[in-house]
Amino acid sequence: MKNFTYGRASSVEEVIEQANRDRNAMYIAGGTNLVDRMKAFLDEPSQLLDISRLEMQSIERTQDGGLRIDALVTNTDLANNANVRRDYPLLSRAILAGASQQIRNMATVGGNLMQRTRCAYYYDTAFACNKRQPGTGCPAINGINRIHAILGASDRCVAVNPSDMSVALAALDATVEVQGEQGQRDIPFVDFHRLPGDTPERDTNLEPGELITAVVLPPMAFAQSGVYLKLRDRASYAFALVSVAAAVELSGDQISTARIALGGVAHKPWRASEAEAFLQGQTPNQSTFEQAADIALQEAQPLAYNAFKVDLSRRAIRRALAVSSRGGGIA
Amino acid sequence: MNQIIGTSVSRKDGRAKVTGTATYGAEHQLPDLVHGYLITAKIANGRILNIDTQAIERSPGVMAVFTHENMPRVFTPTNDWANSQIYETRLPLADDRVHYGGQIIGLVVADTLERARDAAHSAAIEYQEEPVLVTAENATYEDSPPWFGEDFQFQEGTFETGDFAVAAADAPTTLEATYNTETELNSPMEPHALVAHWQGNDSVTVYEPTQWVRVSQGTYAELFGLPTERVRVVSPYVGGAFGAKAFPWPHGILCVAAARELQRPLKVVVSRRQMTANTGHRSQTEQTVRLAANTDGQLIALEHTARTCTSPVEVFSEPCTAVTPVMYATPNLRLGQELAVLNVGTPTFMRAPGEAPGMFALESAMDELAWELGLDPVELRLRNETQEHQRRGGVFSTKNFAACLSTGAEQFGWSQRQMQPRSQQQGDRLVGWGMAAATFPGYRGAAMAKVRLLPDETAHVLTSANDMGTGAYTMVAMTAAENLGLPVEQVRVEIGDSIMPDGGLAGGSQMTATLAPAVMNACQAVLETANAENAQQAFASLQESGRAAYEATGSAAPGEEGTEFTFQSWGAHFCEVTVDEDIARLQITRWVSVMDIGRVLNAKTAASQIRGGVIMGIGSALMEECHFDPASGHPVVYDLATYHVPAHADIPRIEVTFVGEPDLNFNPMGVRGAGEIGIMGVAPAVANAVYHATGKRIRSLPIIPDKII
Repeated sequence: MKNFTYGRASSVEEVIEQANRDRNAMYIAGGTNLVDRMKAFLDEPSQLLDISRLEMQSIERTQDGGLRIDALVTNTDLANNANVRRDYPLLSRAILAGASQQIRNMATVGGNLMQRTRCAYYYDTAFACNKRQPGTGCPAINGINRIHAILGASDRCVAVNPSDMSVALAALDATVEVQGEQGQRDIPFVDFHRLPGDTPERDTNLEPGELITAVVLPPMAFAQSGVYLKLRDRASYAFALVSVAAAVELSGDQISTARIALGGVAHKPWRASEAEAFLQGQTPNQSTFEQAADIALQEAQPLAYNAFKVDLSRRAIRRALAVSSRGGGIA
Repeated sequence: MNQIIGTSVSRKDGRAKVTGTATYGAEHQLPDLVHGYLITAKIANGRILNIDTQAIERSPGVMAVFTHENMPRVFTPTNDWANSQIYETRLPLADDRVHYGGQIIGLVVADTLERARDAAHSAAIEYQEEPVLVTAENATYEDSPPWFGEDFQFQEGTFETGDFAVAAADAPTTLEATYNTETELNSPMEPHALVAHWQGNDSVTVYEPTQWVRVSQGTYAELFGLPTERVRVVSPYVGGAFGAKAFPWPHGILCVAAARELQRPLKVVVSRRQMTANTGHRSQTEQTVRLAANTDGQLIALEHTARTCTSPVEVFSEPCTAVTPVMYATPNLRLGQELAVLNVGTPTFMRAPGEAPGMFALESAMDELAWELGLDPVELRLRNETQEHQRRGGVFSTKNFAACLSTGAEQFGWSQRQMQPRSQQQGDRLVGWGMAAATFPGYRGAAMAKVRLLPDETAHVLTSANDMGTGAYTMVAMTAAENLGLPVEQVRVEIGDSIMPDGGLAGGSQMTATLAPAVMNACQAVLETANAENAQQAFASLQESGRAAYEATGSAAPGEEGTEFTFQSWGAHFCEVTVDEDIARLQITRWVSVMDIGRVLNAKTAASQIRGGVIMGIGSALMEECHFDPASGHPVVYDLATYHVPAHADIPRIEVTFVGEPDLNFNPMGVRGAGEIGIMGVAPAVANAVYHATGKRIRSLPIIPDKII
């Protein structure tokens, strides 16, 4: 680990200016992933800009009835927020399905969005990795790739995004508020994370020096029926093999709107837009859900060790849709 | 006797552990301490062409760097299990060869851990790479030599009695199946670590967690050409070991050697990631079981062959077939062990070495046979009981296996079982019940302990034995309290230091059977010295005489009893699983274990040991597996994020009951060990329950969602 300086930010504007002066500086809040990465020699920042004491810790109603969640709200506080539990239960459940209580107490909303893949090849500097060192190659493609991507991967990178919370935010059509030297801008959640393409070193569409300030949830009445289903190798404290955030809005006997996002399958939280479009106007039954699941996975390209994820994803989608169409709850 | 033995006593070291005052190996603070960090190979087979040591030496804070080119001279230990033993016969930095990914190829010493680590990470190393073999399917297997080292011939590989082929050919029912288990990592909570402190060139203190203080001391003495008493090994607490902390590993030898060169106290902590290659693991196994039986379930013939892997620099042959001749009476028995060499780190003892994976194959096959015959699996096991060890001879001294089965079946409600697979449901989940037998040898060694009676009315027990979380402190205190007629609170126990009398090995589940009789003898000896019937009388006589203490040393060792008897513990596990088949989600919902471990010394810690074994067994059944990148040979599972062990949410309430009787042929306390039998039979009990739930026989561990779907 290289020596670095550490300083506490006194304002958003000032810390952004500091970050823009030094491209090797990094923001730190909870540090639950960044510190691990530094210890593994994956990140070697010149300075850590500690934003954790900035006044960005509240959750407030927006004028249109949604929620504005400051970037420094801890995962624990967000999951336990009464409005979130009532109006967006899938978000609460997604957060509680991840990490451990201790980590959730430290981790923040903004940091959760910025966590990087847990691909074992990325995490060990004994291996080449295009994400860590662009152009060196991806040994995971022909290696032990059981936990890797089945959707949207490239010949440069097959890593998956590890976040649970982000899968729920993708399904909820959230917006990410970011601030940079040029001022503030909004990024639709589905455009926040990137597919690997030729530049797997870039996880997100944040510009250098930009800081996440908030995540905004639009009002969504049917989110109360939302479901988060996480399938993994042990009952707690493991990343998703496959996860699904889903919500179904019914109008009489028909589905009027559906949302499906998948975790553990791609380099970003994966919105199954075509499957959502198909569900519109359909009758909620097993056959419908099966067709939707098939559509969601039709582009899947499994690797040597992860073909099971295709089938598991389909099954998880069917289950999540079925539970949501019955009003939600634990899937 | 004041009847302390057999009661439940909370562990004496518990408060120190939860409040952080228990001092583990790396926590010993010494003035002028410097820090070492291991350099590990980034190739898995080949040669080191060059290490730019000059660049490393220029790194801030670096005081020295050791590679194969300047490795200090150490002597080859005799490796006789009595005086010395090392895990990996190749000495550290012996030459320029790299045999496996992550192998130790150097050590950087610096003034701080961070600077040592940074310099080690930045080291520029040129290699000549050679082809790597880490995939067992591509390996060449040969008949296995003995288990581990020439002096450790507990179980030779191949064995045959009767004629398997002829007997099997005529049998009405036959069954053949192949079972696989994956590479498992011991994964103790406390990483491997030590502090070496030389006093000049002829005396050294090593603060290191070890399961065998005396042999650790003897090994370092031989390695550095010192009389034994010039080496002191201090190991008051061991944060888990599971077989991997009995002897020095290369990092330990390297640390002590470097500390002598530098004449500074030196600490080396093996990182979790470095532990994967350099501190042992359980080999993957491939086992084939062939059973032949009469229509009533009586076994006629049994063949069990196992294939396991070792590293290029040590023979360690995971003895999977050791358990087979113990379990079921079979006139025609054939056992075979084969071994292949892979470019992986050296495997070693891991809780019930060989026995645990062997039991998965055997007890899965017995379950398959029960289904084949339409017999209750409990009944099938009862019909095939043996009263003697069919390989080494000797009738079992005590055996309450049938009571384990019947008590467990009753507690679990086994008689309510719907026979057919997929016949029990809870909502939309399938429910399965499974069972399997457990057994483990009763091992015992020699040990000594010293007891002092002091005027403050306390007894002080000293022995070099150690407590790796098992409850040894408490066991020693209870044994002394019982034999001195004192409350447990008045007994102080100091263990884990080679300046104390040799307390033996905490391995093979033998510490209690080894040490408790020695403590008992020491107590009797000290009372004799005091001419007292109990401690109170001795304390009174100390008061009267003004004498400072009464002190005596006692010892105990096995005699000839092993020629007549075989000592073996027994047990049975019953479990319930629910399987949400559509989404491949499995949960273990109930667990009952019934054990015969002889006399139970501390009911609380003994049950805790069994529970720990069950939890570790559930880990091997459902999630534990290490894999190696086929191209580079490097492990892709290397820490507690990638190597899954059970979380609380994976574990149901575990009911533990003991049904044994004192095994007085074994030792005067009648105790056998509890350390390993708990894991025995756990994985097959789970797999058998999964079959009952789903109708799907899963013959390869771990049972991950990929295999259920």
